[in-house]
Amino acid sequence: MAAYHLQIVTPDRMVFDGQAERLIVRTVNGDVCILARHIDYAAPLGIGVARVTDEKGDTRVAACSGGMLSVSKGEARLIATTFEWADEIDAERAAHAQQAAEEKLRAMQKDDVDYALAEAKLKRALIRQLAKG
Amino acid sequence: MAGASMKDIKLRIRSVESTMQITKAMQLVATSKLRRAKERMENSKPYATVSREALMAAVARCKDQNVPFVTPRPVKKRLYVVIAGERGLAGGYNSNVFKAVAAHCGDTPFCVLPLGRKAIEKYHRMGVELLSEDYSRVENLSVSRCYRLAHLVTDGYLAGKFDEVWLVSTNFRSMMSQEIKTEQLLPVPSAEEEAPRNVDTVYEMEAAEALEKVMPDFLAGRLYSALCDSFVSEVAARRMAMDSATKNAGAMISDLTLRYNRARQGAITQEITEIVAGAEE
Repeated sequence: MAAYHLQIVTPDRMVFDGQAERLIVRTVNGDVCILARHIDYAAPLGIGVARVTDEKGDTRVAACSGGMLSVSKGEARLIATTFEWADEIDAERAAHAQQAAEEKLRAMQKDDVDYALAEAKLKRALIRQLAKG
Repeated sequence: MAGASMKDIKLRIRSVESTMQITKAMQLVATSKLRRAKERMENSKPYATVSREALMAAVARCKDQNVPFVTPRPVKKRLYVVIAGERGLAGGYNSNVFKAVAAHCGDTPFCVLPLGRKAIEKYHRMGVELLSEDYSRVENLSVSRCYRLAHLVTDGYLAGKFDEVWLVSTNFRSMMSQEIKTEQLLPVPSAEEEAPRNVDTVYEMEAAEALEKVMPDFLAGRLYSALCDSFVSEVAARRMAMDSATKNAGAMISDLTLRYNRARQGAITQEITEIVAGAEE
């Protein structure tokens, strides 16, 4: 399959910079799959599991949240807030974060200012565990 | 009399020596911190460049629309995000930043979001309105803290608390030179050289809406990289300052030692003269 240049960056590092065959990532409107020769495209990212297939055909799974995906002139850039490969995820920590977020949510009212924040935290924790498998 | 001055000089030598020990230690600490800080800075660079390009493309697209993060509005009040150090003794590092703010603000009323203990203290003393006083530590400020910071800025901006946001930070150019950078964060200034407006791009959402969504994320990334950059500059400035302080102390010690020896020689000569004079009588 044809490959294209993919860059994945987060504020603290360049996560991936190389040729990829396929990228599946969750945008705010649902999952999209980017293959080679994709039309120019831009979308804000949601919180979800991402899959990157490199030129050798190996697929790696990651937890990805926030930021933006942009494709221009056949090159894709994933500008993510967090992007962690499955093997980097600390399952115990994620489970812990899930519990903490759940407790926090239970104690809060729906219109609380921090409600959305806690909700996002819970979502991230769940996605991390999902990516870890 | 010569004896007393000898004692004075000896005391001064000792005090300069202990100062030199401190400056030397600080220099070593700065040197060891520098490597890690530089690494962090290098790692934060790709995000800054890539997100800037994407941001510019999105901004160019919604130029003619009324988007809060892009469309300028009359400036009643400005916010300065000021990145300074946690400690002093870094040459002109902190004062240069404050000078840049003072030179830039003019007559427009402003509030400040100070990062770094020195900045908090400075603007607290001046009685300027502070957005938050929680960010006294600049070293090892995590990405997630930067997100909170970015939300603080965007929320305030959208609520109309201020109409322009400027970032004053220090740019690391080399070990020898760091320069102050004053740049506008919000509303996003449109690029001077017109980015090619790619109308064919498919946007998952309206560009304006998308921009609103990702702006805090990009801002956080921008702040993070500016913080990394400034911290490297701080450490480099401190290393330089401590290096020259150590050198100066060394020079002072050799000067004082010379004076001490002269005084000692003078005292001995006087003693001999007195003894000889006594024998002749």
